[in-house]
Order: sequence, then structure tokens, then C-alpha cells
Amino acid sequence: MRRSAFQFATGVGTLKASGMTLKIAPRPRTGCQRVVVAIAAACTLVLFAMASDVTAAPPMFEDAVEAVLATKCGKCHSGEVQKGELDLSSMTGVRRGGESGDPLLAESIDDSRLWSVIADGEMPPDGEPPLDADERKSIHTWIEAGGHSKVAAESKSETVDQHDVLPILLLRCNTCHGPRIRQAGVDLRSRAAMIAGGKNGPAMIPGDADASPMIRRIESHACPPSESLLKFFVRRPTQAETQTLRQWIDAGAPLAGATLAGATQASDPEPSSRAVADEDRQHWAFQPPVATSRFQSIDAFILDRLAENDLTLAPTADRDTLIRRAHVDLIGLPPSPDEYLFWRDSDDPNWYAQMIDRLLASNHYGERWGRYWLDLAGYADSEGGISADPIRKVAWKYRDYVIRAFNDDKPYDQFLLEQLAGDELVDYQNADTVTDAIVDQLIATGFLRMGIDETGSRTMNFVPERLKVISDAITVVSEGLMGLTMECARCHSHKYDPIPHRDYYRLKAVFQGALDEHDWDSFKTRTLNVATPEHRRKVAEKNPPLEKQIKQLQGQQKQWTADLQLQLLRDHYPDQSEDDNRATLNALKKADNNRTLKQKILVERLVKAELRPDSHQSERVLSLRQQIEDADRQIDRVRRKMAPPLAIRALWDLGRPSPTYVLRRGEHDKPGDPVAAGVPAVLTDQRNPFVVTPPFPDGTAKTGRRLALARWLTNPNHPLTARVMVNRIWHHHFGTGLVKDLENFGVQGERPSHPELLDWLAIEFIRRGWSIKEMHRLIMNSRVYQQSSQVTERAHQVDPQNRLLSHMNLRRMDAEALRDSLLAIAGRLDTTPGGLPDTVSIDRDGLVSANATDGGGWRRSVYLQYRRTEIPTMMDTFDYPQMGPNCLSRNVSTVSPQALMLMNNGRVRELAAAMARRVETIVGDKNSDDDDSNDEATVETVYQLALSRSPSDRERTLGTESLQQLRSAWGDNSAKALETYCHTILNSASFLYVD
Amino acid sequence: MNQPTQSRRDFFARTSDGLLGAALAQMLGADFFGQSATASDDALPPHGSGIYDLTPKPVHHPATAKSVIQLFMNGGPSQMDLFDPKPLLGKMDGQPYPGNVEEIGNTGTSDVGVMLGGKYKFDRHGESGMWMADVLPHTAQMADDLCMIHSMWTDHPNHDNALYKIHSGRLFMGYPTLGAWTVYGLGSENQNLPAYVVLSDPLGLPKNGTRNWTAGFLPPVYQGTPFRPTGSPILNLKPQFDQPDAVTETARDLLKQLDQHHRNDRQYDAQLDARIQSYGLAARMQLSASEALDLSGETAETLSMYGVGAAPTDSFARRCLLARRLVERGVRYVQIFLEEQPWDSHVDLEDNHRAACERTDRPVAALLKDLKRSGMLDSTLVIWGGEFGRTPTSQRSGDLYTGRDHNMQAFTSWMAGGGIKGGTSYGKTDEFGHKVIEDPVSVHDFHATILHALGLHHQKLFFNRSGLEERLTGVQPPRVVHEILA
Repeated sequence: MRRSAFQFATGVGTLKASGMTLKIAPRPRTGCQRVVVAIAAACTLVLFAMASDVTAAPPMFEDAVEAVLATKCGKCHSGEVQKGELDLSSMTGVRRGGESGDPLLAESIDDSRLWSVIADGEMPPDGEPPLDADERKSIHTWIEAGGHSKVAAESKSETVDQHDVLPILLLRCNTCHGPRIRQAGVDLRSRAAMIAGGKNGPAMIPGDADASPMIRRIESHACPPSESLLKFFVRRPTQAETQTLRQWIDAGAPLAGATLAGATQASDPEPSSRAVADEDRQHWAFQPPVATSRFQSIDAFILDRLAENDLTLAPTADRDTLIRRAHVDLIGLPPSPDEYLFWRDSDDPNWYAQMIDRLLASNHYGERWGRYWLDLAGYADSEGGISADPIRKVAWKYRDYVIRAFNDDKPYDQFLLEQLAGDELVDYQNADTVTDAIVDQLIATGFLRMGIDETGSRTMNFVPERLKVISDAITVVSEGLMGLTMECARCHSHKYDPIPHRDYYRLKAVFQGALDEHDWDSFKTRTLNVATPEHRRKVAEKNPPLEKQIKQLQGQQKQWTADLQLQLLRDHYPDQSEDDNRATLNALKKADNNRTLKQKILVERLVKAELRPDSHQSERVLSLRQQIEDADRQIDRVRRKMAPPLAIRALWDLGRPSPTYVLRRGEHDKPGDPVAAGVPAVLTDQRNPFVVTPPFPDGTAKTGRRLALARWLTNPNHPLTARVMVNRIWHHHFGTGLVKDLENFGVQGERPSHPELLDWLAIEFIRRGWSIKEMHRLIMNSRVYQQSSQVTERAHQVDPQNRLLSHMNLRRMDAEALRDSLLAIAGRLDTTPGGLPDTVSIDRDGLVSANATDGGGWRRSVYLQYRRTEIPTMMDTFDYPQMGPNCLSRNVSTVSPQALMLMNNGRVRELAAAMARRVETIVGDKNSDDDDSNDEATVETVYQLALSRSPSDRERTLGTESLQQLRSAWGDNSAKALETYCHTILNSASFLYVD
Repeated sequence: MNQPTQSRRDFFARTSDGLLGAALAQMLGADFFGQSATASDDALPPHGSGIYDLTPKPVHHPATAKSVIQLFMNGGPSQMDLFDPKPLLGKMDGQPYPGNVEEIGNTGTSDVGVMLGGKYKFDRHGESGMWMADVLPHTAQMADDLCMIHSMWTDHPNHDNALYKIHSGRLFMGYPTLGAWTVYGLGSENQNLPAYVVLSDPLGLPKNGTRNWTAGFLPPVYQGTPFRPTGSPILNLKPQFDQPDAVTETARDLLKQLDQHHRNDRQYDAQLDARIQSYGLAARMQLSASEALDLSGETAETLSMYGVGAAPTDSFARRCLLARRLVERGVRYVQIFLEEQPWDSHVDLEDNHRAACERTDRPVAALLKDLKRSGMLDSTLVIWGGEFGRTPTSQRSGDLYTGRDHNMQAFTSWMAGGGIKGGTSYGKTDEFGHKVIEDPVSVHDFHATILHALGLHHQKLFFNRSGLEERLTGVQPPRVVHEILA
């Protein structure tokens, strides 16, 4: 199939792709392959003219290969089990082929899919007995001889129905004759509408393709009109597609099964049952959690497994360690010196539980744990995809929603309901008053809108790009919420997990009401202006004068920029004429592609002048630059005074989904069978059915499909939802999950280290009202969590990965905890929550750093602006992830740029200096004339501030000695010496790692 | 050649050349080469242990190249004007395109102009008689070392997407680049320099910026490290504050003792060793990076051969020479970019391409000569090319018909050295140079072929991401273009 891959390798289209078609070869079809094949045929070379010259007694299927296929492939591809919709037990099945639509046999052995999967070692899959040399040989010989059988191929009559035609019309005609635009009044989405036609009469005359205007217009290239091909992101139907349309019309435009509109609302015409065997459902994660009466506490479960291995828990960690661990873990910040002393000196026997409660009540908790969820959702402040990387203006509302939800301990089931189907919970379009709850629920749906989205670009809004956006949303839901990897099933049935190809598209159909590749909102049109009356009033009162200020500032800035450019030209090219200088400014207004050579040269000269270092610039240039920068800050400041805009970045059901088709090999122009909305077949049973009901029968039309998904997911009998979430919580507390791969509870994933404990936690989670804070209490109050990180030699030998938890894991702070801790220790953390993200600056070296807030501090890292192309360097260096589309667990890398960052970065050094000033203030109170005792007090304070503990004897000695040496190295400058000492402590492993 | 037994010697030969002491060699020896050196047939990712580092990794099969220099020609150089002469274009100059214009237009058909004849004079060069235009006089001298691939094609006519494609094999952002995959698969032979170095143009970043060298979902240790040609070459390499050397030394010593103390209490935690080493490496990198960038040891003859110090070649020449110095020091993958996209010639192609050639031709040829005379060309794969080609028709721009639009259906790239069959031309385009008609080479094929030369098999080089085996070359098997390999 290489040739065909050559032509439509990715299926991503442009107008030119059709030009690549080498040869159009109509392909013999069988009943099940639908006429859609005609589309595929357009890009396929002649592969299938089966050998016609019968030589002397070629091997027959029944004698040569039937037994081999039954033994080696029959487990998955038989009459009973048909993985990939493939049955290899009979010649009929072989001829029919599987879900990919590729012929199993072909003219040459190289083109035979049956042979290529065997030859490439793709099949049988790992873990199944491979074919031996003789078996391979007999299959090879049989295919090469022409793949004969004693049973003659049945000649089935071809039937063409609406499902062969509709995908073509959706791809090619729907933009002008569909849900949004009806050119000449014509809607081509149903047979009836085609017959009804528009102002010029019917578009289609059943039984007479020649006379049908739609065919005439397509064939004369009147439609789609040449000039609007790109404007509407469409391409002409291929010749084969037109042929299919003709065939259908000539046959009287027959309808099969359900009507067009009902096609995907009816139950699945061909359930996936055979593709998923009962045995598949037996996998532990596909069965609901099992209650156990063996143990009733985390400690008991863990101790039991430890005892089996002759291990036990490590001793409880000392108080200082517990204070730091709990703080970093729950709020991502160290305790202040006062807080530290308070807990250290508390003589309440219950101090630890109180500390946990206090931390859970802190608003910093949501900033820490909400961030984990933002990773899962793939939060970003820009769209990505194209060079311009446009800013997502109000994405931050979703970020604040998540932080609020964690702080309020919103029950997890409700949290999911809102994010998956907030628009289907209340009929906001018909609500008497818009309440905060309604707004919140709509903001929550931003969850499904976080992926990279290039469809706002004029040339990136084709169906394949839209499908990519949809696929990202499906990945977030399936991996993040269900711990299932479904991405593979986009192109073919999952090789290991019982996720048939069809199930992927059933899940896609769930989102079709809102994410419809044939009825698409680009990021420019997908905001809702739903707001409470109170909010509207505030905006009307507060914003107009502020908007005016911003406009003024921007006007000034524009003028200064022009002045700056002229100044640069005059400074560096005194010989260049003023006309040319003006022409340079005009050239800048044109897109770079459209500049003339002269304009390009002029612009290049300007760029060169701009790039000269500051030391080569005139004072006027530098002062103009400063003015422009200041104006930026002023604009930002004014913007922060404004009431937040009304716009919400939401996802909402349009109530008119186009039908969903399986896409063979995941290619947008190879549609297969229509499917109904559904969830993975392996997860459905009577206890938890998937039922779709439109939520507002008397109100706004909504499909209710996502609501059905959310209700199904949050049903207490769902085998995955609670387990996946408690495992995630566990992972963030211990550094590793009970199931190691947070996103893979499937057959290939590692089994849980403590299956009974996982189930017990899942059941407790639901029993305690899906309360995440309750899970923190449960876990953190256990002895398992409170044990020391000391490793015994025996534990290291028996269980080097610490899967049995014989001690606490040592963990490196992640990027946020590290940066926020640095700021807090330096006394430069601005704790203002929420709102517009803080802007960043990029210096000439490409270093991206956050801008300080008005108070001269910096806010927590979760509030920085995360533009995909401008991730702050500090975050990036410490493994802030690339959201593609999301990140379920971050890498922990140890690389030298991290060392360079902490050692050499100017900002870090400034923070160390600020910390030194704090230390001086604290120590200053108990100052004495004796340098030595001062140094001891200084070292003590530094350790309390940075590490929430006292130094060990060795550390104290090292500290005092170093301070002396540093003082002399700094020429007797105590202040500088202390700065360097603080800087070194902030670089130390004790700071970066939490015991 | 990637067997650590051998490279270990080279490595120490290099690292103990006065810059770094024996103590370092000892320290590195224990940890960087602790891994088994046997190449295995198992389709295992190179980092089965879950530790992601840059230590040398075994190859899948014997390699013909151990490093790559990619001369990236952003914007899309014109194949029919530089490498793939089409006399018919000259004959039809000014006439309408005889086929379906919808096959030409990228943004509709309204701006499709008329047939545009080749802009420069072509000649055959070298013993192989390779065609090249007269704007590439220096590259032409190296014809017998080049393999021209005339049958490259890609999937998208937009710069953004075509750039993602040519660098990462995907049309979208977020996937690791060829360079990232290469160092993920092979590690590096020099632990004092980044394994994957990017030399971008001081005039500005190329289109798509830093995403041209992203590690995507691979751990960030595999992303390209941009070296700036002036000042401090790596972010944070030099302290951004002043402090006496004695202070730096005291602080460094204190840190070492504190970390050792911390380590002693936690003897089974390997990550702490890695961290202590990362600080050592950071310190050494300050020296090596500056040394690698210092061109003062190069002879006047070499400098002038590249065109250092002369307009308009100086900037590109420096980067080419730097590339040689880096490869010489064991850097695995070097990428050179031009600012924005100088080859993108929608108007004034004749002048624009001439200017781009004048900046790059001499340095490129000098790089090849220089590598050849030191014998390094045998193990260094040099790649030249852009993200797509250009159309046989002009693009109408106002009333001008002087440039060509993007063409994803055919373009020319060349390779040299590192096991490539020199003096060959591969693949054919139609009479207009518009479409590939023989031996198509997809971007996946192109990548698979480069990996092959590096001793990596595209199928065996994967990364397990959320249960999916991700590969540079995607799901459908690509074709290694064995015909161009010596």
C-alpha cells in the first residue's frame, strides 16, 4: 500500500492532494465494504485483480492454511471472537477482510496485508505463540499462488444507501448547504431536503442522476465554486465520489435502516460484542472494585504485604520532616518561620492532624492540587498549532474554576459532571436569571477545550485538523478519567486492550453534538457571553473609562514605536534617505511574504539595527524603548483593574449532530459504518448502562450525550473512575501510584502493587461523598505516609523500587513548588489569587521570565501566563510539561541546565539576596558582638527559613566555617557573604528534595 | 563506532586534554559507561531502565554516520531553479499552466500566475555530471560528494505545518524532532557539551522558532540546545551577577560538602548522585562550550575558505565552521538555521534566491571540503534542504509575476557523507518539476533513511507514551531509501 500512502499519506488535505492521484481504479466491493470504498479506490492502485490464470493445482485455503490460521490466529479472529472485525476461520471471512478495509490478499505478496502483518512480526502479537517457519511458508506459498479456495466467491449485489453518500456530501458540500449556510436555500444533509431543494427547485431527482442539479453542478465544477475552495476549507469530490453519488441517485436514492437524522441516535446497528469477548471483561480494572473485610486501614493493607516479604514500615519521621513534607505536599510552600515554630513547639498530642486540617483549609491548597488537574486537562493560555500561537484570552477562568473546586472540596462526581456536561445540566438559554452556578458550570466545560487548536487559522481549518482537536479531547477523557489509552483505536482495533476501532468512534459520537467536524466553531467564535446580572452591571460601570485609557496608551505606544524605528534608522544609517526610512515603516505593515525585494532589504536593515547591543544604541533609542516597555506595564495594570470580561471559553451542544462514521485507518476521507454514541463495550453492563436522554425536552435542543457519559462515568459501579482518581491522589502523595501508569489501567499496564488497597480506597472515596480532602486525611494520617525516608539495606535489596512502601520516597520538588518556595523564602511571594495570568518577558538570549507584580513580588507559578511558545525558562528547566494534549505525570529529569539555572541565574541570585536580608532581620534582634555566636544564629535561621529544620552538627560547622571564608573572599563584606551562603543553601540537595 | 569500548577511549582522550582532569575521567567512567554495550535485536527503547541521559547507546545495526549536520534552508528553495532543470518552463514562460490550476493553488486559484522559466543557467558538474545552477558555484565543485534527492514530497503547503513535518514527521506541534530522536537513540560522545546543538541565525529565529528543535514528549534532556554565536552560548551558562572567583570556589566547595553529607544519609538514592554530577557537568560545560566556540585556533586559510570575515558569508560561515568544531568534539546532531525564511520567494525569486545562495553556497561547500580533508565526512552526514519546494508557475502579486508559490508535491534535498552514495541523483519529477513521478521519498522515508545511516532502525526506535509506542516515522512503515546508500 505504499503507493497509496504516497498519495494520501496523512489524509491531511489541501487542494492539491487530488492532483496526486495516479490512477483511479474502481474496486470490486463486497456487501460489507460499502460503496465508501469508492473513495478509497480513488487513491489506490490496482492491487486486486486476483490471479486469473489458474496453474496446475494451486494450494487451497482449506488444505493449506485453514488449520494454521485457526491454531495461531483463531483466538482473536474466529467466528466467535472477531478482533478488528476480522474472521480468519473461513474463506468468506478472509475475503471480507477486517475493519481497515485493506484487502488481505492481493496481486503480489508484498501488497497482501495478511502477509505483511505476519512478515513484520506485527501478528500474532507479543505474548502469543508465533508462526513457525513451515507455517509461514505455507501461508506465503498460498498467497503467492493466488489465494485460492474450494469455495467460490459469492457475488453479492452492491447496495448503495445514504451512508455511502452522506459522508461525501458532509465533506464536500455541507459548508454551503448544511447547518450554517444554505446557499440558494439548499440543504444537502438528508434525502428529503435534497428532493425539496431550494429556490431553483429540487437538488436531486431520485432515479435520474443526469437530471439532478447537484450532479450537474459538481461535474461542471460550478460546485464547490473555485474561488471559495479555500475560504470554506473544502475540496472537490473525487471522480469516484461523484460516481457513488450518481449510483445512489440512479438507484432511486434508497435509504437503509434508520433515517439520516436518526442514524446515530438509534442503538448501534452492529454492536461490538463479537469484537469484545467475555474473557476481555475479566481484566481486573474492567470489573467494579471489590469490597474486602480483611483490613480497614491503609496501614493494615501495607503492613500485610510488607510482612509477606519480611519487611516492615520505617520509623515515623521526625517532626521537622513531617512539617516540611505536609506543607510542600498539600500547599506547595514551606511553612513561614512562625508557622514552623508553632508546629514544632506545639505540645498538643493531636498537632499533626490539626496541621493537616489547617493546610487543607488554606487557599493555597487549591493552587497546589488544582495544578495537577490543570496538567491533566492540558491547560494552556494559548491556542498553539500555528506560529502566532494566539493567546487564549479567558482560559484563566477555567484555571480559577479548578482551584476553587479543589478549595471547596467539590465532590469529584459533581466536578466531572460539570466539566463534561456543564452545558447540559441547566438550560441556561431559557433560565430566568443567570446564576453563579450556571456560569461556573459553563466555565467548567472549558475542560474539553484545552487542547492545541489550529483551526482558528485560515488555512488550518480542514476536517483533519478538526478531527485532531476532537481526538485530543477524547485522549484527555479516556486517559485522564478512565485510565484507558484509546488513541490506537482511532486507526485500528487496539492490539492489546479490548477496545475495538468502532468503540473509538462511538465515543467520538458522544462529543459530536458539541465537537462536530462538520459543524465547527473556531476559537474565535466559541465563547459564550453568559453572565450574572451583577457581573454585567460591573462591566458596564467600570470598564468603559478603563478601556479608553488602554486605547490611549496603545496609541501612544504606536507612536513611540514608529519614533523608535526612525531613530534606529537615522542612528545607524545616516546616509539613508528619509523617504527610505518612511518606506521601511510602511513595509513593516505588509506581511513578510508580500514584501518587495526593496522592502525586504529595508526591513532587514532595520532588524539589524535593532539587534545591535544596548552599548551601541543612542540614548534616545534606549529611552524610547523604556517608554514603550513602561506603557506595556501600564496597560497591563489598567487591564487588571477592569471587571473580568463576560466571555466564557465553553463547549456547548448544538443539538444537531451530524452522523458519526467509523473512519477506516483513522483517515477522514475513508468513512466506514455509521455508529451511535456509546462508551467502550468492555465497560458496559446492566449495572451501569449508558443511556442518552435529551436533557431539556421542552427547552433548548441538546443531545444529552455528554451528560450520559458523565452520569455513566460517575456511577458508583463504574470500574475505573474512582480507582483512577484515588490512584492519582496516591501518586501525588507518594511519588508513585499503586498502579504505576496513571493513564494505563489496561491489559498492558502494570498491575496494582496493592489491588485490595486500591479497591478499598476507591470504595471509601465514593462512600465519603467523592471528597478529595477526605482522601488526603485518610492517606496523610496513616503511618505509611508518616514514615521516614530512611532505607534499610534489606529493603533496598528486596524491593529497590519501594513498591511495597517500606519507607517514604524522597522526592524532588516540581517546578512550581521549587519556584514558589524560593519566592516565599525570599519574602517576595505575592499571594494574590486568581484573575489574569501574569505576563512574561523574553530577553535577547531567549530566557523567559515572569514580570513582577505591582508590589515588586511575584505571584504563585500557577498564575503565570503559559503561552505554549513562551514557557518561563525556570518552569521549563524543571520539567514543566509540553501539553500535547496534556500531561498525566511529569518527568523528573536531572540535567545540568537545572544546575546552571540555580547557580547562575540573576533572578535566583536576587532572591538569595532577599533571603539574606530576611535572615539578617531575624537574627538582628539577638545580635551580639561575637562573630562566632552570630554566625551560629545565622546558620540556624537560614536552616529554619529554607529547610524548616535545624542544621545538624556537621552542617552547623560547615555553615559557620563557610561564612568566615566567604566574608574574607568578599573582602570582609558580611552582607555579601550571607547572600552567597543563602544562595548555596538554595542550590543544595536538602532544599531541592523533600524527605 | 558507537561501541563505548572505543568511544570511551576517544572520550577520555578528549576530556583529559588539559581542560579536564583525571578525577573527572574517573568520575564519569563509573557512571556514564556503566551500561551494557552490546547491541541487541530486542525492540526495546534505548532507556529501558527509565533513566534518561545522554550516555552513548548501542546501535541497532552498524552505522555509517555518527553525527549529523543539518543545513536547514527555511522557506522552501526552488528545485527547478537550483537543482532540477526544466527546460520546458523556459519554453512556456508566460503561458498559462496547461493542467488544472486547482492543483497548483494553495490559497485558491486567483493568484496562480503563469509558467515561469528557470531563473539561472544550469550546467553539469563533476564526473557524475550533476546538474546545478550557476548561483551555486562552490557547491557545484562538490557535486561528486552529493546525493540529490529530486523526489521529496510533503503533506502540507503551509510553512508552519511543513516545518513540523520535516522536523518531527508530524504536521502538528508537540512532537520530537529528528535531532531529539537521534540523541534519544544514540546519546552523545561528549558529556561536556549538549548532544544536540542548534546554531540559529543572529538575525533572528527561524519560522516556528524554538519548536524546530523541541523534544516534544521526550524528556527535555533531548531537546536541541541553541548556541548563540556571540556572548554566552547557553542560557545561564555564565553567572548573571559579579562575584570574585574565590567566592565561587568557596561556594562550590560548600555545596559539594553539603550534598555529600546529604547523600551519605541517603545512600540508596541514585537520583542524588545524578544531581551531584549534574552540578559537575554544569561547571565543566562552562569551559567546553566556550572552547568549542573559540575560532581563534583556526588557520587563516580555513577561515577564508568558509568565508568568515567576508560579506555576505560571514554569519553562515561561522556557523558552518562551528558545526565542524562541534562534530569534531563528539556532538551528535547540529542544526543550522537562517533567520525567518529567506528562501521563501513569492516575489523576486531571482534576486532572493541569488542572495540566499551568496550567503550560504561558499560556507556549505567549505564545510564539505573541510570535513573531507580531515576524514570526518566519512562519519558525518550532511543534509541540505527546506520544508517544501516551489511551483512551476509564478505567483501573481499585484501585477508582478516574479516569484513562485509553495509546492508540497515535489522538492529537492541533498545529502552528503556518512555512508551516502556521492555523485548520485535520485527520483524524478514531471516535465514541470511540479510532481514526483518516480521513486517518491516521503518525509518518513527521508527520516528512516537518516536513522538507518546512524545505525538506528526506525521501528526499534520508539518511546512509550501513555501506553502508545510513538515513533518518529509514525504507524505506517516507511521505506529506507537503500538506493542512495553506499
